[in-house]
Amino acid sequence: MRNQLLKGGMQNAIVLLSIFALWQIVVDGFDVPATYTPSPAVIAQTIWAQPGAFAAAVGTTLLEAILGIAAGTIIGIASGVLFSRVPLLERMFFPYLVASQAVPIIAFGAIVIIWFGNGIASKVFIALYLTFFPVAVNTLRGLRSVNPQQIGLLRTFGASSSTILLKLQFPAALPSIFTAIRLGASLGLVGAIVGEWFGAQVGLGVMLLLSMYNYQMPELWAAIVLTGVAGALLFLVVALLESRLAWWQEEI
Amino acid sequence: MAEKIRLKNISKHFGAAPRRIAALQGVDLTVQSGEFVTVVGPSGCGKSTLFNIVVGLTPPDEGAELYIDGERQAIDHLLGRVAFMPQRDMLMPWRTVLDNAILAAEIDGVPRTQARRRASAVLGRFGLKGFEHHYPQELSGGMRQRVALMRTFLFERDIMLLDEPFGALDALTRAMMQRWLLEVWSEFKPTVLFITHDIDEAIYLGDRVVVMSARPGRNKMEVDVSIARPRAPSILTAPEFVELKRRLLAAVEDESLKAFASMSRLEATVEDA
Repeated sequence: MRNQLLKGGMQNAIVLLSIFALWQIVVDGFDVPATYTPSPAVIAQTIWAQPGAFAAAVGTTLLEAILGIAAGTIIGIASGVLFSRVPLLERMFFPYLVASQAVPIIAFGAIVIIWFGNGIASKVFIALYLTFFPVAVNTLRGLRSVNPQQIGLLRTFGASSSTILLKLQFPAALPSIFTAIRLGASLGLVGAIVGEWFGAQVGLGVMLLLSMYNYQMPELWAAIVLTGVAGALLFLVVALLESRLAWWQEEI
Repeated sequence: MAEKIRLKNISKHFGAAPRRIAALQGVDLTVQSGEFVTVVGPSGCGKSTLFNIVVGLTPPDEGAELYIDGERQAIDHLLGRVAFMPQRDMLMPWRTVLDNAILAAEIDGVPRTQARRRASAVLGRFGLKGFEHHYPQELSGGMRQRVALMRTFLFERDIMLLDEPFGALDALTRAMMQRWLLEVWSEFKPTVLFITHDIDEAIYLGDRVVVMSARPGRNKMEVDVSIARPRAPSILTAPEFVELKRRLLAAVEDESLKAFASMSRLEATVEDA
């Protein structure tokens, strides 16, 4: 399992390096101006020239995304569990939750900044909002999908409903919960970046916006590449957690 | 031998008036302490329903009486009283063999380390030595079934209900498992009720074979198996075995035909619901 992950990572790295190499060759070979598309070497130099600023941007955005994804995951799992145990609550609130997802959070962007300020709280909120829903839905679905006969078997062992939740339903739901967290992780990063566009001091979103306004192509590309790195890091963390906590394939 | 279980007038209907289906109709059955009773019958005769009632998962109709050790049991307090093994092994893919085996004991309140120690001690008896840290998905069907049986044994109840535990196994594995089950049973001597479709299996394992009628299920016939234990596999061709089999086959065949005929009348099936 771990070995396979490593092997897959190696293969992906080789492809990525080849793309950068090709990019470098094309830009050099056709003499593409850096103001149009800078080469990977120029982008690297740009990052190297002011490491502090870029590190602060990546760090801030990652922090916003991670806090938002984590909080969204925790609240999502808690509501999924609550809905599964109290069907009345599900019937009352679930339709509104679904409806709330029809309005893109971006429409509320300005209001979120007014409410939570232009610090990290507003971006954490947006990332949370985007992660929460898929996690809640998949938690509910995962808990519900457990074979009733298996629940019956645990009852014949004298298990209470909370024991059944803890020892059977929750572990059985983990693979489906992780599917949602993976989705939430990429949504959360987007949420943090877009949140920064509405108002922030530091972050990858700020950097993307400023370099676009100032037509600083190398800086813009550096921010793009670093956004990719941040996304890959988030994905890696989730994949590692998944391989430790929900590694089995078999349906029960 | 003392009486262990007595079932009196167990009936069960499913559904509401126009489509009401009688799954069981007045089943009476007494099982002695340490006895191995096998139950055969056509599909849909309510064998599994009967088991679900005895383990406490399904409430029977009004008027049913259930005694264990001579004491009348409250139907809603049966859960946790007997060790039940369903048709499918239902092992948890995230638990190792050892941790799957202790699941019932753990839920019963035995501390994990103590349960693991007890389980480790009998691993060899269940043919799982060296596999304690494997996961179920790495095991063969026969081994998975042994883990499920081990889980049932480690629940440490004096009554065991086994619902077609070897139904999904190939003939060779099944024969091995039967022999092995008899060995383990003679060692611990629990009272066993064992459902099967296979008449050979019913005779080979049982002290007594109960034939259930087509739906609504009731016990149609009971036959004592007076073949001495331990039973060698060769008894499957002994004259007394063959004679028993002939009688049982005739009875089961009869019921299967009835079940088949009534199938066309009933749209809804509560097949062993």
